[in-house]
Amino acid sequence: MSPLADRCSGLFLVLCSLALFFWIIPTYTEVRDGGWLSPTTIPNSIAALLMVCGILITLRPTDHVPPHWQEFARAGLYAGVLAAGLWATSWVGFVYTAPVIAFVLMVLIGERRWPWLGLGCVVAPVVIWIVVVYVLQRPLP
Amino acid sequence: MLATVLAGFADAFTLVNLFFVLFGVALGQFVGAVPGIGPVMAMAIAIPFTFGLDTLPAIAFLVGVNKGGLVGGAVPAILINTPGTPDAAATALDGHPLARQGKPLKATKMALFSSVTGDTFSDIILITVSAPLAILALRMGPVEIFALMIFAFSVLAALVGNSLVKGIVAAGLGLLFASIGSDPENYTPRLIFGHFELFDGLPLPSVAIGMLAISEILRRLSRIKGTMRRAVEIEETGRPEDQRVSWREYWGCRFTMLRGAMIGTLLGALPGIGSTAAAFISYASTKAGAKKPETFGKGDLHGIAAAESANSSVVGANLIPLLTLGIPGSVSAALIISALMIHGVQPGPLLFESQGRLIYGLFGAMIMANVLNLVLGQIGLRFWVKVVTAPESIIFSVALLLCFVGVSMATGGVFGIAIMLLFAVLGYVMTNFGYSVVIFLIAFFLGPRFEISISQSLALMNGDWMRIIEYPVALILLVLAAVSAVWFLWQNRKQEEL
Repeated sequence: MSPLADRCSGLFLVLCSLALFFWIIPTYTEVRDGGWLSPTTIPNSIAALLMVCGILITLRPTDHVPPHWQEFARAGLYAGVLAAGLWATSWVGFVYTAPVIAFVLMVLIGERRWPWLGLGCVVAPVVIWIVVVYVLQRPLP
Repeated sequence: MLATVLAGFADAFTLVNLFFVLFGVALGQFVGAVPGIGPVMAMAIAIPFTFGLDTLPAIAFLVGVNKGGLVGGAVPAILINTPGTPDAAATALDGHPLARQGKPLKATKMALFSSVTGDTFSDIILITVSAPLAILALRMGPVEIFALMIFAFSVLAALVGNSLVKGIVAAGLGLLFASIGSDPENYTPRLIFGHFELFDGLPLPSVAIGMLAISEILRRLSRIKGTMRRAVEIEETGRPEDQRVSWREYWGCRFTMLRGAMIGTLLGALPGIGSTAAAFISYASTKAGAKKPETFGKGDLHGIAAAESANSSVVGANLIPLLTLGIPGSVSAALIISALMIHGVQPGPLLFESQGRLIYGLFGAMIMANVLNLVLGQIGLRFWVKVVTAPESIIFSVALLLCFVGVSMATGGVFGIAIMLLFAVLGYVMTNFGYSVVIFLIAFFLGPRFEISISQSLALMNGDWMRIIEYPVALILLVLAAVSAVWFLWQNRKQEEL
């Protein structure tokens, strides 16, 4: 069991809290005089809390073992497909991108059977389109 | 009062509500039966689709999904030893061995009956105690509410996950992201990074669906290595007595189910202790008190009854802190709170006064969901058994498309979907590094109320925190929060040394 994962996440928390405290919160919060609670009080308090917790996690790590890096890479791949799908959706619309997103995902998962691929890439998007546009009468993205 | 109760129940028992509860229970049982989806994910995806509905049918539908999911979750646990929901893991201990003996229907039916029994028990407790508790809660002011939230956060941080510090981090992150938007006192922009879409804060459906549904799907997908799951291969004996649960068998488990329901209700009323813990505690206590403990783990009906009655009774009890104090005890309760807020209903003790009819309508819908769970479970069990064999490729790809559409409907565009993807990645990373998404979400939901309660407390105490000694209830709650945090830290350290 390696405490490396906790040390890394602890350090990351410390760095994030420093960035929050000295850069993000002062730059992106508009402070106005008056009132009982300044807009920066809660975020600053949380940043301080995160820093203390980050130091504690770094110094006293648990035996938590994260998954293998290959799992992270695979998750990143799927997240990338979704992000690309979102980008494409913003340009050509969900109706045209949904079958492609479904097809890419199913193939990546390992599906090679045409009936299931047809169900996922054609039937499911069509059913979603009918339900959202005609039954719920809402626009698709 | 009686008129409100009767009007609420009359509102619930209409054909429209019956339809939505039935649809919710069927969907819940379906998604529960599919390993990897589960009722929480289904609720998160379904919330945007309920926007067009009136409040009661929308909430009744979500309650139906939640209750149905617990019944459905037992099916894959029993048949393929893969719990559809984490709380069904204890059910698999005896359910799967019984299925392997050629009695899968007996095992699933026992799970169904004990689940409905436990659920009904906790609903009765909820209906009886929530109104008096809400009257008590109404006496609490902003100072007490602030102290109560601190207490809830400390208990949540300690009980969910295996590290108190990581629990605090998750709560802190939830509060931090909740602070994005306009500051509640001065209404000045805070941490919106030039995106005026964020002026009202991060969209709740994007955060909930991203962290609960997409991150879980990413986690599942990252573990698939290009092979499809095998279908269920369990044979039945064919004997009629092995395909049903007799009244004698059911009645023989009455004390087991009662114990399970009591454990589940008690633990469910406390924030943070999920149905998984309740199921295992009930299972362990039943085994410890059994005349023949050696039969447990080999297909004992008492084992199934203990686990299922306990995990299902948590659902109703989870709503006790939600309806009386406005504090969600679990993610499913947090999703119900968000659905209530989306429909313009502010949860908390005033709910019984301002929306009494709606609450009693909700209680009526819960009772209806229990009956429908039983009826639909009896009819649908054979079908849900087939559902277990559906390939993950289709389940996950369709679920992802529904998440896109659901969030777009809720937030009105691709910006909400982008936020959803960001939170999916955050949820995935947090889960894999041992930070609880449950605590994050509950803190995120409570964040704005937490800040307002601090602001109001400061106004009441004229900016002097020492005046908290004038509020004995708040003081007791803060002391309890500190004591429980220290006690849980000490327990953690003791476990580490062992």
